[in-house]
Amino acid sequence: MKAQILSIGVTAPGLVNFENFKSMILQNQSPNTSEAIEKYSPTFLPPNERRRTTATIKLALKTAEEALTHFQQRYPQADSKLPVLFVSKDGDTLISAKMCQAVGEEEPMISPTQFHNSVHNAPAGYWMIGQQNQCPASAISAGQFAIANGLLEATLQSQTYAKPVLMVIYDLPLDDLIPKDASQKAAISFAFSMILDASDSNQKSDYPALDLRITQQTPTANFVDNPYSGLPAAEAYPLLQSLVLFESNGENSEIHFPLNQNNFIKVSLT
Amino acid sequence: MYILSSSLISSLGQNKEAHVKALKAGKTGLSNQTNFHNRIPGINTFSGIVNDIENIQLPDSLKIYTCRNNQLAWQTLKENSFSSKVNQIVKKHGRHRIGLVVGTSTSGIAATEHVFRNELETDEYDYQTTQQMDSLAQFCSQVLEIEGPSFAISTACSSSAKVFEVAQRWLNANIVDAVVVGGVDTLCLTTLHGFNALGLVSEQICKPLDKDRNGINIGEAGGFMLLSNLPSLEHSTNPLVRIMGVGESSDAYHISTPHPEGEGAQLAMLAAMEQAKINMEDIDYINLHGTATPSNDLSEISGVAHLSKESSPTWVSSTKGFTGHTLGAAGITEIIFCQWLLEEQFVPVNLNLTHLDPQLTAKLKHTTVNIPLETLQLAETNQKLQYVMSNSFGFGGNNASVILKLESA
Repeated sequence: MKAQILSIGVTAPGLVNFENFKSMILQNQSPNTSEAIEKYSPTFLPPNERRRTTATIKLALKTAEEALTHFQQRYPQADSKLPVLFVSKDGDTLISAKMCQAVGEEEPMISPTQFHNSVHNAPAGYWMIGQQNQCPASAISAGQFAIANGLLEATLQSQTYAKPVLMVIYDLPLDDLIPKDASQKAAISFAFSMILDASDSNQKSDYPALDLRITQQTPTANFVDNPYSGLPAAEAYPLLQSLVLFESNGENSEIHFPLNQNNFIKVSLT
Repeated sequence: MYILSSSLISSLGQNKEAHVKALKAGKTGLSNQTNFHNRIPGINTFSGIVNDIENIQLPDSLKIYTCRNNQLAWQTLKENSFSSKVNQIVKKHGRHRIGLVVGTSTSGIAATEHVFRNELETDEYDYQTTQQMDSLAQFCSQVLEIEGPSFAISTACSSSAKVFEVAQRWLNANIVDAVVVGGVDTLCLTTLHGFNALGLVSEQICKPLDKDRNGINIGEAGGFMLLSNLPSLEHSTNPLVRIMGVGESSDAYHISTPHPEGEGAQLAMLAAMEQAKINMEDIDYINLHGTATPSNDLSEISGVAHLSKESSPTWVSSTKGFTGHTLGAAGITEIIFCQWLLEEQFVPVNLNLTHLDPQLTAKLKHTTVNIPLETLQLAETNQKLQYVMSNSFGFGGNNASVILKLESA
């Protein structure tokens, strides 16, 4: 199965966007993961909606917007109202934990905004409103198997809808209010986006295509130093790195992403 | 896609017989005196509860997944020989050739609520196997020993309708031979208080399409279907029901209020019909999303009216008066109802409707859309159900419509 990458976005502490990531990799620098995520406001939303967005929603929207903006600049003639797929392990745990805390009180108080922001598809909802886009929008969770299932789903959606699909995979550390799970609370936020085209458009691109194969062969461990390691979205780091290296010197490496305990998606660049 | 097996548990019962009996008799599963009501002092409403879920024991190897949502999932997989049918398919094709995709709005969040209410020891709590949004998918894949692609869709109340399009994509790409689709959502406090904060919880039994409707009743349900592009495992005497079309869209209008003219709803219904290669006049019955909020029902009926032509008699009804709004499980619940309506050839009453909202009557004026005030057994008439459609809409303006067809013998 093949999917042409048409655009990429990335956001994490110490990573402002994909251009920033690229130059860092090419200059052999490491990101400063203790930096705060760059301040962002989704200006494409009406002020009322913009005001209601949370840090989780903003991370997803910022990363989606980067990929779409690049797409619109690169392909000014193309239809930029694309189906979207948002992938996240947890969604907004600050909100869900606060709501759980509220229902532990004598008189539970949950605000309407808190409640509608708590749905897993809140970023998708805001995105479609802001972009005035009536295409299908999905929001899924595949836990630690996010990348394999996400790439597969986005690629198959693009085939079905016969147009490019915008995929955003984003994860934030669990909120401190959630009981236990210290390691998931200490983890680092990471988000990346790709506009993938598996329709037969043969659109020219600045990026390589992904070749996806399902395999049961256990991969040989290829060690990549991943400064963001911890949350499922950050497992894309080696893939993003290999995209940069492929572009600059044609270096190709196969990367395996687990689909579940015993099956993998083998990704190679073409 | 063919339906090889299905299993459903709601407040109406644990199997097809109980559900069909209740739907035909017009007997609701909603009550304003349940165990759940003890947990919500000060809120007066009706709920569709499945009794004794909390007593369901998971096997030792899966104990860590224990929470109301996964307990109901377990029971639903075990009932109606569902898991044994999946086992047959797994044996035939191999674990890695079966996919699983399930819908839920809140997963096992009740477990976290229990910790904050001091009803569960922190030591006995595990976030990843309960509240984490993919817990249901992980759990079901382990129960059924499935190793194909697997994830949870969580798009609020359209979640378990959208699973059908994923199944279709996997099957058509030939990366699997069969798919388990489903959805489970169980009663929890955050959802009830959240809807209450929005003023959408009714103190009366919910009355879809009625002039006095004023909100939803929340219900819980678990449902699963086994789907394949091949008709069946073995020769079956049951009539065959197929999923013919799935359509999805976004309103791009408001985060928690549907588009007043049902624009997104129309797009989803049109996309489903396009895929099924049929028109509105071919649809014999629509199971409405019909939540009984003033805005949903007006939006949806507007959408249906826009698509209806005078020459196309179509029955439409909401079954929320039976089960309540089962949220992330609403799609699968009502799509299984649609399967059974086709198999048993009846149109379920729009329960609790006494006075059709005049605003809706006006919308439907130039159509031949009929809303049944009692259940119709079609064997007694010349009409027959062949194509039926189920609508599911969620927060964020997220819409899905699914079309089912009875294959003629």
